[in-house]
Amino acid sequence: MTTPRRAALATWLGGVIVHALLVVALVAVGVFLIVRLVPGDPAQMVLGLKARPEQIADMHHRLGLDQPLWRQFASFLGTLVTTGDTGESIAYHVSSRALVMQRMPVSLWLIGCSAALVVAISLPLAMTAALHKGGWIDQLVRVVPTVTLGMPEFWVGLVLILVFAVTLKVFPVGGTQPGIDGMLYSMALPSLVIALAQTPFIVRSLRTRILDVLGADFVTTLRAAGLPERAIRRHVLRNSLLPALQLYGMKVSFLMGGTLVVEQVFGLKGVGTLLFSAITARDFPLIQAVAMYCALGVVAVSVAVEIAGGLIDHRVRGRAAASRGGAR
Amino acid sequence: MNAAARVPRTLVAGLALLAAIALAVIVIPMVSPYDPVAEDVSSMLRPPSAAHPFGTDQLGRDLLTRVAAAGRVDLALMVGVEAAPFVIGTLAGLVAGYRGGWADRAITLLSDALIAFPFYLLVAVVAFVTGTGVKGIFLTFLIMGWIIFARTVKGATASLAGEEWVESARVMGFSDASILLRQMLPNVLSQAVTVLASDMVALLVAIVTLGYLGLGIAPPTPDWGTMIADGQSFLATRWWVSTLPGCAVVLVGVALALIGDGLNDGRRA
Amino acid sequence: MRKQFKAIRAAVAAVAAAAAALSLAACSQSGGRTTDGTVSGARTTFTYARAASVTSMNLWTEITSNNAFAIDKVFEPLVSFDTHGRIIDWLAKSHTISKDGLTYTFTLRDGLKFSDGTDVTAADAVFSIERHQAEKDAALPLTADIASVTAPDEHTVEIRLNSAYTPLLAELANFSNGIVPKDFGGKSESAFFEHPVGTGPFVVSKWDKSGDLTFTKNEHYWQKGKPGISKLVYKTVEDGTQAVNQLKTGEVDGIESPALENLDELENGADTKVETTGSWVTHTFFLNTADEHLSDVHVRRALAYALDRGDVTKAVSFGHAVTAKTVLPKGIEYSTQDSIKPVDDDLAKAKKELAQSKYPDGFEAKILLASGNNAYAQAAQLLQSAAKKIGVTLDIDSVDIATFRSRFKAYDYQIMINSAQADYPDADSIISFQADPDGFSKSYWTSYSNPEVTKELREAQVTPDGDARADLYAKIQQTLADDVPYIPLYSPQIVKAVRKDVTGLEVLPNDSVRFQDVKLG
Repeated sequence: MTTPRRAALATWLGGVIVHALLVVALVAVGVFLIVRLVPGDPAQMVLGLKARPEQIADMHHRLGLDQPLWRQFASFLGTLVTTGDTGESIAYHVSSRALVMQRMPVSLWLIGCSAALVVAISLPLAMTAALHKGGWIDQLVRVVPTVTLGMPEFWVGLVLILVFAVTLKVFPVGGTQPGIDGMLYSMALPSLVIALAQTPFIVRSLRTRILDVLGADFVTTLRAAGLPERAIRRHVLRNSLLPALQLYGMKVSFLMGGTLVVEQVFGLKGVGTLLFSAITARDFPLIQAVAMYCALGVVAVSVAVEIAGGLIDHRVRGRAAASRGGAR
Repeated sequence: MNAAARVPRTLVAGLALLAAIALAVIVIPMVSPYDPVAEDVSSMLRPPSAAHPFGTDQLGRDLLTRVAAAGRVDLALMVGVEAAPFVIGTLAGLVAGYRGGWADRAITLLSDALIAFPFYLLVAVVAFVTGTGVKGIFLTFLIMGWIIFARTVKGATASLAGEEWVESARVMGFSDASILLRQMLPNVLSQAVTVLASDMVALLVAIVTLGYLGLGIAPPTPDWGTMIADGQSFLATRWWVSTLPGCAVVLVGVALALIGDGLNDGRRA
Repeated sequence: MRKQFKAIRAAVAAVAAAAAALSLAACSQSGGRTTDGTVSGARTTFTYARAASVTSMNLWTEITSNNAFAIDKVFEPLVSFDTHGRIIDWLAKSHTISKDGLTYTFTLRDGLKFSDGTDVTAADAVFSIERHQAEKDAALPLTADIASVTAPDEHTVEIRLNSAYTPLLAELANFSNGIVPKDFGGKSESAFFEHPVGTGPFVVSKWDKSGDLTFTKNEHYWQKGKPGISKLVYKTVEDGTQAVNQLKTGEVDGIESPALENLDELENGADTKVETTGSWVTHTFFLNTADEHLSDVHVRRALAYALDRGDVTKAVSFGHAVTAKTVLPKGIEYSTQDSIKPVDDDLAKAKKELAQSKYPDGFEAKILLASGNNAYAQAAQLLQSAAKKIGVTLDIDSVDIATFRSRFKAYDYQIMINSAQADYPDADSIISFQADPDGFSKSYWTSYSNPEVTKELREAQVTPDGDARADLYAKIQQTLADDVPYIPLYSPQIVKAVRKDVTGLEVLPNDSVRFQDVKLG
């Protein structure tokens, strides 16, 4: 690799990372302000219906909620910088970061298993449809998955539980079981719910993409130029997968902290339900922690997608380096 | 290109299905002997019968009438809520794609930050401020909904902006606004509309999900989301309470997906 | 053409194989494991599904049920109550109250031990009550005017009052008056409550504050041979439907708070049943008497007459609640549920009352509703329809639970629906909270004030139990029914759903349960 290429690569990577950090910072500040400006009071939620005004005031003082907003923000930043934590959870009396770390694996398992299922379902369907364009198989592949588009995840989850767990007893109703095999077993139904919701989009975009590549000029040109068949195939694969990967990256971003409904329906103790109970209880430090770590996850995924995209298609790398910001 | 003139079959099927649904939700409440919000506790939770083809709900209301009345609310909401994000997102995408530079960077940063912001936190926070219901749903999707249109349109515009005719238009003295709105917009609009069709289904499902989370449309306004959510605890014993409104959502989903598919094919043909 | 796509196909095949492997793993799992979690022979672990986790074991500062019903498994008071809410001796084998109502004497049971094996003495009881009195963040503070708490000998605890206070005995039955070892057995208070030591049937063994809590049997429990189970697991299952399904398949043995709408299914289920008792709860519409419209008693009476509470009960309770006629639920002594003349279900009278009010042509108001509560949403819609019949337009203002609390505690509402609950089995627990304008709750945030009621409720606090006290509470209840600062709707039964093979579960009217007699299979 020549030095200019390397410099360009460094600039590009630097840009991507600065952008990612900016996004996380925006989220952190946004969450801080927003949760404190909405109505509702953590003390009322923790102390219960019959809390006396003195108890409430006492708790506000202990939590620093009687301080002006800028001072609260300063102490939040101080804690974050010195400990990497957002403070003790108001509702659970333990470190917020520890809670997020404890809950994260379940959500990541869920996202990972659903991603595997999405790929396993979408790739063959999209390929078959594309190769039989216009035929009845193609029509079937395009119409049948749309049925799940209109089905809310919680409802699909409930039906799957009733059929496969309560009636047939082949999968657990909910929760997680120890070990990798136990995890796979517990994740089967919940990840299927997520996969069913995402497959229609992915199948359709992948099919369209494969068709595009099939008809693209460059395939003909490459062949005319006498390029070996194997190289051509690689090009086709690359060109169909990249946009699908980017689209899927967006979907996965949404799943960070967005697995709430599936976690709720299947009684999984992940970050989605943690976030929602934190919101309900106005547990400020915990909301902050979940939001920040999820935002980190989202930017990590998008950086990964971008880098992977760059590796799959070096043209992106060249072009992006040439006009950073213009084509991101 | 003769193929472009041919209307795809999926588009026709989708439009027909949507028209049928629209007709049903308009006509049924008009001819039904029941009031969608009048309770009759003595006939609560009746299974489907001749008198109540869809059965009754927990307060003894006729479900068929309610599903139809809810359809009016939800379909109107779907269109109303999508309109503003569609316009804003398309315009933002046009500007970002054509101009590039700081406009593009600002829009990219904002949309990336919004996407990184946990969706359910945003939904909840908006609901806390506005109360649960239509206002909150409208505001949430105003904040989040434009992104997908902006991204789609930006990509399409950026690829068009490099073409020769744009440069010649500029040389000929057309203003940027005129190039954008007169020349570019018609070219990228079809892509935005395709996205619109599938995004509407997502919106409808999101509204239903909000109902499940207790952040949906407030009673007594009939709404598919709240109906499905209220009925979910009866799924094992009184399937009709949540399944039948659920079927309505699925039908609308299929119709919109077919339309999106058809538009997509029409564009590419 | 197609052969060009061998590479793609190979990739597809690889992924499909991976997927197949995954589903195979799942299938082999299902073959090897029984989903109902049973092992042959008698089970000794009881798993209880609860909606929220245990976050603190501090018996003095905690009140919410997620913590309270874990605390009461570890700490026990001198007196307690049975399934009907009657006061019974607990750690005390007997108690006496002096004629003037100023001296309470408790004699401890013989052979009482803490779960660490040390003896329980009167000094521990004195320490516990005094420490409770000193707690400035006490959630359920003792309201009696206590002069002294002393231990005349190792087995006797004496509480002296400056002035008589009849509810004291019932207050002492609260879990917050449980006995802890003197000076926390030498530990710091915060360390003690992380590993609490009490006299209760169970000991905390594994505790995830955002998840599950596992108790093991207290080997030193004073009820010989009990508890019958060796382990009790509080499993946090937030979603109600998920909990129901886990019970059906045997992944849990019981559900703490099954939704009313699931009860018939669980009652008639093949493997499940429900255990019930009467409750101390009344779900109630509260009317803000400081509001322009609702300050008019005729308006309030009109609304109460317009509503058929029987309909509300029928729509939300599935046969597991009684329509409330008075503010005191039937399970609380002196309730006039069976004799009171309620303002209820009479459209003609409703119209007449409204005609007498300042707003004969009706008005508009809002019902403040906490979202996510199905039963409350149904009840609010029924009130809305009822009001419509007399020309009053009620809108439903649905907000999330935290906003709801902040709003009604700031008196920022007109009508709201909420639950009213006694903490201990004495009429005063409800009446003081709901009808005393000088208390911090200002008559449950209704601002209702009636000097006559205030005077009577104070008198009832010092009147010894008996007919005189009964008369006072009867009068108070009738006045509250006629003035309608709130419309009591229904008192649900306390219901616990369990597997069919569970026996000996004692369901208490405060929504807690006793596990010491539980047997499985």
